Amino acid sequence: MDEFNDNEITKLLRLKRYEQPPPGYFENFLHEFHRRQRDELLREPLWRICIDRTRDFAASFNLSTLTSYPAAVTAVLVCAAVLSLRIYQTPAPATVAATDRPVLVAPASTEPEWTLASPVATRVFNTRSLRNMTKSAQTHRSGTPRYVLDSVPVSYETTFKF
Amino acid sequence: MLAKLAFLAAAASLSAQQTPESATSLSREVKDVFDRCAKAVVKIEATDQHGELSGTGFFVDPTGTLYTAYSVGGEAENVTVEFKGKKYPARQLMADLRSGIAMLKVDLASPALPIGNSDQLEIATPVVAIGYPLDLAETPSFGMIAGFDRKCFGGYFPTRHLRVNLPPQRGEGGAPLLNLKGEVVGILLYSFENNSSCYALPIEAAEKIRADFVRFGEPRHGWIGANVAEASAPVEGSRAVTKEIMKDTPAAESGMKAGDVVLQIGRTKVHEPEDILDASFFLTAGDVVPITVMRGNEKLTFSVQADFHPASHPRPPLLAAPLSNRAMPLNLQSAPERTP
Repeated sequence: MDEFNDNEITKLLRLKRYEQPPPGYFENFLHEFHRRQRDELLREPLWRICIDRTRDFAASFNLSTLTSYPAAVTAVLVCAAVLSLRIYQTPAPATVAATDRPVLVAPASTEPEWTLASPVATRVFNTRSLRNMTKSAQTHRSGTPRYVLDSVPVSYETTFKF
Repeated sequence: MLAKLAFLAAAASLSAQQTPESATSLSREVKDVFDRCAKAVVKIEATDQHGELSGTGFFVDPTGTLYTAYSVGGEAENVTVEFKGKKYPARQLMADLRSGIAMLKVDLASPALPIGNSDQLEIATPVVAIGYPLDLAETPSFGMIAGFDRKCFGGYFPTRHLRVNLPPQRGEGGAPLLNLKGEVVGILLYSFENNSSCYALPIEAAEKIRADFVRFGEPRHGWIGANVAEASAPVEGSRAVTKEIMKDTPAAESGMKAGDVVLQIGRTKVHEPEDILDASFFLTAGDVVPITVMRGNEKLTFSVQADFHPASHPRPPLLAAPLSNRAMPLNLQSAPERTP
């Protein structure tokens, strides 16, 4: 701080006075913020998201407050003990194999996509051939279909990179 | 005085007669476009992970190749095309997330819409869209070009899009946007929330993707590895200055440097950094593109062989090694020829 004297600080403030964000900055700020937040969240591995959520969940119960009410804690413990006793005394139900139940499995990506996109981009386009559709198209359809007209683009461009 | 009054009265009566005639004439033109073009516009039904969907597409060649929106045919299966009251199975030829379109193929002889030129469009040029809204029959919508935008919805389009004041409805994603000659000038992709207007991809962008597909069997988006920012002052009419040249990229190998002001990429003249979007979309991986820059007082042209865009997947190796990228001083102010 000693390096600056009053004149320099005044000069700096005078320069700063002309700094302005680009047009549309404030209008887009919240949208951009949410988008970046979502992007950052999606970048984290699943196990870390799970741990964070669990920690947040645990933190929402103020444990120190609970300990100040020993009667309540005792009651909870007693209830838990009774319930566990009842559960142990109940005969085990017959196991039913749900073999015909469809299991949804997300297709595992064999290769991680890599991109130079900034965190602003929501989706990165990719040009792989998507699907070889050899199945018969004569599928019985029932109900109302989804009538398609997007309200946002399917991909955004990273700014001014080529 | 009497003559003036007579003239004014005549002019008023003429304009009163002309207004309904103009409207009738315009209506007739729209009807004519609809009558000629509707037969090449089809309803597309398919299923995707969310369930059944319905959209619009249109034939662009007589062998049953059609364009539609990526959201309609990009990730769907069991695709059928309703043509002349019958349903035909369709298969996907190509889907491109960057441009937001997909190409499908139906094995039948089909009518085809002629391809127009969106560069000839101006603000207020009348246009017609033909689509299949909801579960209704083919329907014309009439509107006009409202703008040419590169940025909207908080992000940048991959290339300039046509903003059209035309009320689209659900189910019309992938519909053709036609000029009054009946030529396709765009593909209807996105609507605004109140459905008062929409965005269409210029047909040239779709044709670039189709040309890639014809040449290589897939879209090949090109990339040279430069990052551009806005210069404080224009140089030779351009404010697009290279902020960063990424390592081991075609731009770096060609000799481009940070601080070069980009004047032209291929045939596209660059005035603003946003012009880069238009130019870069039309780069094809493997093709050599001349890039003209201003470095100090020198105007240099680099021949750069575009590489695959980093987000392209997979990244097959280019057959030819990058050409010897060299710079040619073009407009020197008594500067000696040199190779950076």
